[in-house]
Amino acid sequence: MRRSTAAAVGTLTGAALILGVRLSVQPAAVPVPAAADSGLEEPETGEPAPSGSKKPSGKKPGDSADAGGAQNEQAGLKAGTYKGKAVQNPYGTVTVTIKVADGKITAADATFPNKDFSGTINPKAVATLNSSTLKAQSAKVDAVSGATFTSQSYVTSLQAALDKAGA
Amino acid sequence: MRHVEEVMGTVVSIELADDLPTPRLQALIDSTCAWLHEVDARFSTYSDDSEVCRFRRGALTLEDCSADLRLVLDRCADLWRDTGGYFDAYAGGPLDPSGYVKGWSVEVASQRLADAGSTRHHIGAGGDLRMRGSGPGGRPWRVGVRHPWEADKLAWVLSVTDGAVATSGTYERGTHVWNPVAGKPASGLRSVTVVGPDLAVADAYATAALAMGEPGLTWLAERVAEGYESAAVTDDGRAFTSPGLPIASDSE
Repeated sequence: MRRSTAAAVGTLTGAALILGVRLSVQPAAVPVPAAADSGLEEPETGEPAPSGSKKPSGKKPGDSADAGGAQNEQAGLKAGTYKGKAVQNPYGTVTVTIKVADGKITAADATFPNKDFSGTINPKAVATLNSSTLKAQSAKVDAVSGATFTSQSYVTSLQAALDKAGA
Repeated sequence: MRHVEEVMGTVVSIELADDLPTPRLQALIDSTCAWLHEVDARFSTYSDDSEVCRFRRGALTLEDCSADLRLVLDRCADLWRDTGGYFDAYAGGPLDPSGYVKGWSVEVASQRLADAGSTRHHIGAGGDLRMRGSGPGGRPWRVGVRHPWEADKLAWVLSVTDGAVATSGTYERGTHVWNPVAGKPASGLRSVTVVGPDLAVADAYATAALAMGEPGLTWLAERVAEGYESAAVTDDGRAFTSPGLPIASDSE
């Protein structure tokens, strides 16, 4: 679970932006468990929520049958401001916040508190690839870089094979 | 002409791609090896009469050290500061500048080759490489980065003309890669590769980032402004590359 979250977050160059995009593109398709997967949880200390973040939407009982709203409520999107857990990723500690109103995500935002890291964080400085892109290559090369500390480990290395082939 | 030399506790691979007479190439390789053995004799932490050992037991004062050793000590101090203490020549207790000396000695070897007329060569020492000029056939050197789990596979293929590629990884030494700041084994990153102009610096940066663990990814991102690109793989298999990493465009 943690890993899939990391992969999802890591896939996008702007982690939060991507998560935000995903959520906002298909708000109705985001079930509660999925939100939990993304590390989203109800905040204790978030910004003032637009309409009572902790209670089930007060509108629901008395509302005059807004079909769409009801549907979305069934999908589990309660009105309020949801602050995600702080997620450590290569750009720093990122907290994603989404706002939900009438069963739809109306805003998604991310903060980079920059508390744990000094210096400038450039979200584009390190592009992330998910684990599946760590493909084994077998192209022709002139030399191999790797952690080869000793003569013993050299013997079994690709570099040794290259040296043998080129000698 | 290619040559493999066992020296400095590791294996050094040398390839000269210059169009020069064979005796000339052989002489260049011989002088390169002579320099590396000289470095080994002077900087080894295993032989009691090396300059490093005499200095660290107080038999040699800083003033009496060679200019080379003073330079190495200065650069180790600079890198200790630049890496927030994660590159530490004193991590194991007594002074051990080997982590800087290897890259530095290859840098010097490459510069000496250039001064002596070899403008196209590569020198690899224990998986850390310095390329100069173009490779065989006049194309850029193609440098594979070892896959961090499969020793016979590559994770990336890089295209490098002038520059260094250094890789540090936990896959060779297990958990013995030390985090000198926290005082415990490093964890979080499986391998780190740094590409840039100076091999000693690239090597120190790769070592430091590996010791940092995952926060090292942020730190590596900041090195891009200094001209050092990077690729890293986490313990759980996530791969990261900086945008300017010179990945070879073709697969063959």
